Amino acid sequence: MDEQAVTGRHAQPALAEAPTGTLEPGGADPGTRRTRWRPPSAGHVLGRTGLLIAFALAVLTFSLVRPDTFFTADNLRSMLLQSGAPLILAVGLTILLVLGDFDLSIGSMLGLGGASAVTMMALHGMPWQLAIAVAIGVAVIVGLVNGVIVAYFGTSSFVTTLAMGTVLVGIEFAFTDQKTIYEGVAQTYLSLGQSAPFWGINVQVWIAAGTAILVWLLLEHTEIGRFFHAIGGNPDAAYFSGIAVRRLRVLGFVLVAVAAAIAGILITAQAGSSAPQAGIPYLLPAYAAAFLGSTSFRPGQFNVAGTVVATLFLQVILTGLQMLQLSTAYINVVQGAVLIVAMLLSRLGQARA
Amino acid sequence: MTGTSAALASVRGLCKSYPGVQAIRNVDLDLRAGEITGLVGKNGAGKSTLIKVLAGLVRADEGIVHIDGRPARLGSPSDAARCGLAFVHQELALVPDMSVAENVLLGLGFPARGRTLVHWSRMYREAEKVLARLDIAIDPRRPTRSLSIAEQRLVMLARGLAAQARLVVLDEPTASLSNTEIQHLFRVVRALREDGVGTVFVSHRLDEILDLTERVVVMRDGAVVGDFATADLDRQGLITAISGPGATARAGRRLRRPADAGAEVLRVEHISRPPALTDVSLSIRAGEVVGLAGLAGAGRTELARVIFGVDRPSAGTVSVRGQTVRPGRLRRALRRGIVLLPEDRRHQGNVLDFSVQSNVTLATLRKHRRSARLPLPSRRSERAVAHQMVARLNIRIASVDQPVRSLSGGNQQKVVLAKWLRHGAQVFLFDEPTHGVDVDGKQEMYTIMRELADEGRAVMFISSEFPELVEVCDRIVVLRNGRIAAELEGDVSEAVILNHCFTTDQE
Repeated sequence: MDEQAVTGRHAQPALAEAPTGTLEPGGADPGTRRTRWRPPSAGHVLGRTGLLIAFALAVLTFSLVRPDTFFTADNLRSMLLQSGAPLILAVGLTILLVLGDFDLSIGSMLGLGGASAVTMMALHGMPWQLAIAVAIGVAVIVGLVNGVIVAYFGTSSFVTTLAMGTVLVGIEFAFTDQKTIYEGVAQTYLSLGQSAPFWGINVQVWIAAGTAILVWLLLEHTEIGRFFHAIGGNPDAAYFSGIAVRRLRVLGFVLVAVAAAIAGILITAQAGSSAPQAGIPYLLPAYAAAFLGSTSFRPGQFNVAGTVVATLFLQVILTGLQMLQLSTAYINVVQGAVLIVAMLLSRLGQARA
Repeated sequence: MTGTSAALASVRGLCKSYPGVQAIRNVDLDLRAGEITGLVGKNGAGKSTLIKVLAGLVRADEGIVHIDGRPARLGSPSDAARCGLAFVHQELALVPDMSVAENVLLGLGFPARGRTLVHWSRMYREAEKVLARLDIAIDPRRPTRSLSIAEQRLVMLARGLAAQARLVVLDEPTASLSNTEIQHLFRVVRALREDGVGTVFVSHRLDEILDLTERVVVMRDGAVVGDFATADLDRQGLITAISGPGATARAGRRLRRPADAGAEVLRVEHISRPPALTDVSLSIRAGEVVGLAGLAGAGRTELARVIFGVDRPSAGTVSVRGQTVRPGRLRRALRRGIVLLPEDRRHQGNVLDFSVQSNVTLATLRKHRRSARLPLPSRRSERAVAHQMVARLNIRIASVDQPVRSLSGGNQQKVVLAKWLRHGAQVFLFDEPTHGVDVDGKQEMYTIMRELADEGRAVMFISSEFPELVEVCDRIVVLRNGRIAAELEGDVSEAVILNHCFTTDQE
């Protein structure tokens, strides 16, 4: 009876999976290692939204410094558009990071996904629907191969997917002959990257938003999502609880590869062409966003909300710095430094909490 | 014989406690050059902790160790090596991909050519010289990975000798060795004695102790309770010293095989999995709690893992209610209703960062769907079950949203149990469920196991604390060296179990 009364006192955190609150050593009983649990404090909540605050500050700063170029509807739309494909990749990557795995072939997969869709239309005359299906199919196969090698044969996901990245670039070259292809791309395909169905906001943004919501639902509200978190938290305990650990890890690799292919399709659709090795530059920003996102909302855990805000934050910083007309050299330094400082601050915040 | 020559190492007033356990208390011990000392005791008697303190792996809370009459600082394994102590631990501490010579000379620094290059030929010569003392012909260039376990133990010993060790500690060195290999090891130890090296020989095999040593130190409950000249001892006397006067007097109980014990639920037939298990058969009926006793390394956890489908046996079958379970498939075993509460619950029992609620429902998430078709768990329904389990098992927490990491050992154990109660399992395998649990928690665990059995389930209870097996079980199976040594019913006491554990196979 008493137990019930005690348990009822704390409000359920928004995402119940996340054990919030802090541990402190119990004072009464020095002999045991028991700890007392406390609901989250106000300061803690503030720490968890640090990224949002930084994001708001960045927007505010650039708006004040460049009011007539930065804080305009056109620029906001353009920043959203540029965040679309990276967001899909980063959100997909978040799934795999929750599982505790790595995939360094996603950049190459993005390039291959776009290139295969475009070549299927341009060189093999396929209708756009079929071309997209081929690109997605290739991604599923790549994910399966990565996943089976890593999960069933126990290789390191780091090295395996690094090597897979090289393989994928090779396949892309075989498809495209290392040429930029811009003729014979279907009009409907182009509209996937270029139309703006609502409020002048590009279709990519809507697709990215939809993907983020779907992945959020998957991770936070489905059985599979719970199992993903369990595997990432403690693979042995998950296995001992009867969760099909290896199968789900393979699924994680498939999902991230498919996300990469979708991002690749949108990028080629927007550009109206497929350029060689277009995917590689997208690899590191996706990891940056996911890791930066993991410092907020649920510190220490990869989460979709964090990934989304971090992706937008990184885009704001990039655009803002470009508007200050800094040279590329400075932009690189500032961008990297912002990331490092953000990680440091959140680390310090966690240590103090 | 005792107390004549000066002590090489003398331990005074050593104490070490872990949360909830006093591992060793007030240990005084003198170890002399050229003497072979046996160190014996039950599981948890404190032998390992004592050795770890000497090896510099664990820092004592109180007490002091003198080496050659001077107080020694044993803060790390290299301190211990500098004091002339060498250790052959149960877990091999060799680098498998390095050559034998590199492993032998690892702690010393390799002989150099000039200032920077390794002088390989000298290194091999030096290693060969040390290996010769051990009377083994191993090419020092061979990768250590390719050696047998016996050879690897000797290489560890060689490492100690290379460092001029004057006292070597062998922790269960004969485990998984053949008879010939054991005889070789004994010859080496005796030869070392002639060179004035002292040896501490830790073993559960009493015949080896009686054969090899000249002095036996007995530990019980963390204290040294006996120090004998081996010549004055026989097997029975040694067993009595190990189990203590209480064991025969206390805790004798007539095990009851419940009259209403139902049909056979779990049947294990001829399970083998080298080297841990050989031809193990047993069965548990509905309503029974069957104890699985044995010393460390007897194969109890290995058996539980095979039954649960974690490890695949090389031969034999497991069946539940007459239906065979596909071997080595955990999910099949689960579907047949077998569950395991693992000994290592921090790593295998719970997802520590998950809330109590999420851990409780982890294995049965399907039962919490919002609707039968959609794999969307309802948090409200999970919460209701979590509260129900918290109340039923009396789990002491502030909230079901609390991470399991913050719970005490006993409460963590109960969360694992709650997970499986929801699963509706038929066969419960408890592997050391009371390990690291306080007194009240232990009693609760006994009650729960009894209740599970009374509800018609089959319960297996693995424990190193034999009195609790006597207290709780209907039947006790003793494992020794991976084989069934005895199946005990009727009048049983801790002493009887220990006797079976310490008997040697050849007899």
